[in-house]
Amino acid sequence: MSMFWIHFKKEMLEAARSYKWIWVPAVFLLLGVMQPVMMYYLPDILMMSGDIPPEAAALITVPPPEEILASTLSQFSTIGLLVLVLSAMNTVAGERSNGTAELVLPRISSVLPMMIAKWAAMMSLLILSFVLGYAGSAYYTSQLIGTLEWGPMLGAGAFYIAWLAWIVTLVLPLGAVLRGPAAAFIALGSAAALTMLASLLPSHLQWSPGRLSAIATECLTGGDPSAWAPAVSAVCFMALSTIAATLLLKRRPLLPQA
Amino acid sequence: MMEPVLRIHNLTKHMGSLTPVKGISFNLERGSCTALLGPNGAGKTTTLRMLAGLLSPSQGEIRYGNSGETGADNQRWQKRIGYLPQYPKFYGWMSGLEYLIFSAKLSGLPGKQAKLRSLEVLEMVGLQEAANRRISGYSGGMKQRLGIAQALVHEPEMILLDEPVSALDPIGRREVMDLLDRLRGEVTILFSTHVLHDAEEVCDRMVLMVDGRIAEQGELSELRAKYRQPLLLLEVEPGEREADWLRSLPERHFIEEAEIRNRAARLVVQDMDEARAALVREMADAGIRFQRIEAGASSLEDMFMKVVGA
Ligand SMILES: Nc1ncnc2c1ncn2[C@@H]1O[C@H](COP(=O)(O)OP(=O)(O)OP(=O)(O)O)[C@@H](O)[C@H]1O
Ligand SMILES: [Mg+2]
Repeated sequence: MSMFWIHFKKEMLEAARSYKWIWVPAVFLLLGVMQPVMMYYLPDILMMSGDIPPEAAALITVPPPEEILASTLSQFSTIGLLVLVLSAMNTVAGERSNGTAELVLPRISSVLPMMIAKWAAMMSLLILSFVLGYAGSAYYTSQLIGTLEWGPMLGAGAFYIAWLAWIVTLVLPLGAVLRGPAAAFIALGSAAALTMLASLLPSHLQWSPGRLSAIATECLTGGDPSAWAPAVSAVCFMALSTIAATLLLKRRPLLPQA
Repeated sequence: MMEPVLRIHNLTKHMGSLTPVKGISFNLERGSCTALLGPNGAGKTTTLRMLAGLLSPSQGEIRYGNSGETGADNQRWQKRIGYLPQYPKFYGWMSGLEYLIFSAKLSGLPGKQAKLRSLEVLEMVGLQEAANRRISGYSGGMKQRLGIAQALVHEPEMILLDEPVSALDPIGRREVMDLLDRLRGEVTILFSTHVLHDAEEVCDRMVLMVDGRIAEQGELSELRAKYRQPLLLLEVEPGEREADWLRSLPERHFIEEAEIRNRAARLVVQDMDEARAALVREMADAGIRFQRIEAGASSLEDMFMKVVGA
């Protein structure tokens, strides 16, 4: 436990000194707030531009609050996820490519506490950023457009966090064998592939953690999806990724050139 | 004093098609200082990485401490080893002091002690003024000193230093050599270097590695005696006759080894008196116009150059 705290404090300090604690939450907050504000003013803006026939303009209405929140999530799925993965890509890969691992690893008898600390630090940043962006979006949505129900909103948030979390966790094992940018690229690629497969073959991939983002949206828009299997498999994915990262880093702590 | 703290036997490392370390064996006694000497690519870094636990040996074994200790005890030994890589890399966003405290805590020192000990080693390596500056702003030599500080911070029983002085200026080099000299006796030291002179300065033993194998090892004083051979150096005026004569020198029975250049010869001889008399006579008879004759003895340096050059 004490080893975990030493590593965890170091990770948190590093994130703070590299301003990750500012820019990642800022991106999420911006994305979250922009969505309801944009949607709210969109009809007015279109109206003002003037060349739209009134019949067409009448068709453009402000969507219901749940849909706005759901479209916020889809914003998070692209830019938000990208920012998270980029901010996390060097947690393990950087230790290898910079060569700092050569000084740290001989001191520790087990790599697992270090890896769990890295994961926990990533998750802290992820949860804070997401909660900030999501809450911002919900606040403006309820102020400008209409009230939201707490239950579905919280449920959707939880599933969505699980979806972000398992993808970001992929950079741990990938970073233990590849350089940072390659790890980020492959993590995003495999997440996209799994998420797409899950929507193409829903019956075969009931358990796929790739379904979690769709489940979150469904939660918001009134469905009551069964999310038990994907949530459990996301947790398993993360545990496996962390253990794999530990073993891989222990096996090859140095880049060949270093 | 004669108790070994580290014994390695037939240590081998394969890396793909290369075998940088080809079955080496040696012991380190408690409190001794040993230089791991060798040219570029000899396998020094690979050996030290295995001893530090960063690479696992392909074959052979490493034993720390007393004979009975096994793999699990080797794990415990990790905390008692200080390791300085050839190119130490730190977290540039930390200050020197923060880095040392972090390292000390990783090696199991409790918080308060970690800080006290970090300040102590910072002073030892002369970095107290830069203690609170970010490492990203350190010069190469300062980083090297910080590297030495982190190797000492947890009061290890054995330190493994990979070329601790190669990156330092003459003054920094002097300081580090003095520091090692002070540590001798308390700590078991193994450090790698290309330079025999560094080894002779602080160490009592050396292990000479060439191309993954041990070419020679032992007490420096014994090795010096072993490789001390009578040596004659000749230099002659330029000229046809002189050159021919020099070239004919290796045929003499009293000359063991001859290195002939255009106008000079370096001769290892069996019996100095016999050789001296014979050569002086010959030169007088043949009318060789010499410039210089010098009698001396070959040193470790000569052996080192020969083994490394071969
Ligand atoms: N990670 C690696 N992958 C492949 N080959 C390696 C690796 N590390 C070292 N080698 C090879 O092993 C041999 C020995 O390298 P090593 O770094 O141990 O030598 P060294 O004695 O430390 O040399 P130097 O004095 O230049 O530091 C070299 O031929 C090198 O190419
Ligand atoms: Mg080396």
